[in-house]
Amino acid sequence: MSWPSELIKLTTTTSQPVTIGEITLTPEAHALVVRLPFAGFVWNRPSAVLVERGGQFERLHIINLSRVAQICLIAATLLFVLLSQGQMAWRKEMSR
Amino acid sequence: MTESLPTFVERGTTQLSQLLDKILAAARPGAVFSEPIHSGDYTIIMASEVTAAGGFGSGFGRGSGRGPHPSEVGEQGAKMDDEAGGGGLGGGGGSHGRPVAVIVIGPNGVRVRPVVDVTKIGIAAVTTWLAMFLMFRRWRRMRQQVAP
Repeated sequence: MSWPSELIKLTTTTSQPVTIGEITLTPEAHALVVRLPFAGFVWNRPSAVLVERGGQFERLHIINLSRVAQICLIAATLLFVLLSQGQMAWRKEMSR
Repeated sequence: MTESLPTFVERGTTQLSQLLDKILAAARPGAVFSEPIHSGDYTIIMASEVTAAGGFGSGFGRGSGRGPHPSEVGEQGAKMDDEAGGGGLGGGGGSHGRPVAVIVIGPNGVRVRPVVDVTKIGIAAVTTWLAMFLMFRRWRRMRQQVAP
């Protein structure tokens, strides 16, 4: 099945480099673009900053801590619910 | 009205499509990173997460009927009412941005400082604790029922 590239696009874009003193920064972002004939959706998030200093390159990742915390909490809830359900089912089985 | 209904709807659709393109321009990197802000030895660039969505729709219809009797509106009026139609178009959209991190360029080099949304995490934590509490209560109740 071919990916509908015209409808859904996942792109990595870089912004104009910013030079401050001897440091040059190139911000990088990931964008998810869903384009339907009568609707559209864009999710654009910063992913990294490329730092160039004296000919040496360094990549600094941008992490969305709030999202990481949210995902961890949701995962913990799901795990707890699944384990509890499993234990309840096991107890029911044992009581028969 | 000087233009026909399909032309009006087509023109409106084109304009709304252009508006949608403007909403989807949030995909450009400039929407995510702010202009550098200088303060003393430090320069700050704000990195934000941007979400934008929009949509529109249009439609029109036509119908024919016998119209009113010529005695009521005259011969011309009755002819004019033989065919009638209606249509409309509408749309909506919005965007949301939230700071994710701050890039600080100072004498000690470049640092990425995360911006934590306490409200978001707090809501997620309360939901988690509530789900766990309800599950625990259910589990306890079931344990009491099973116990002889």
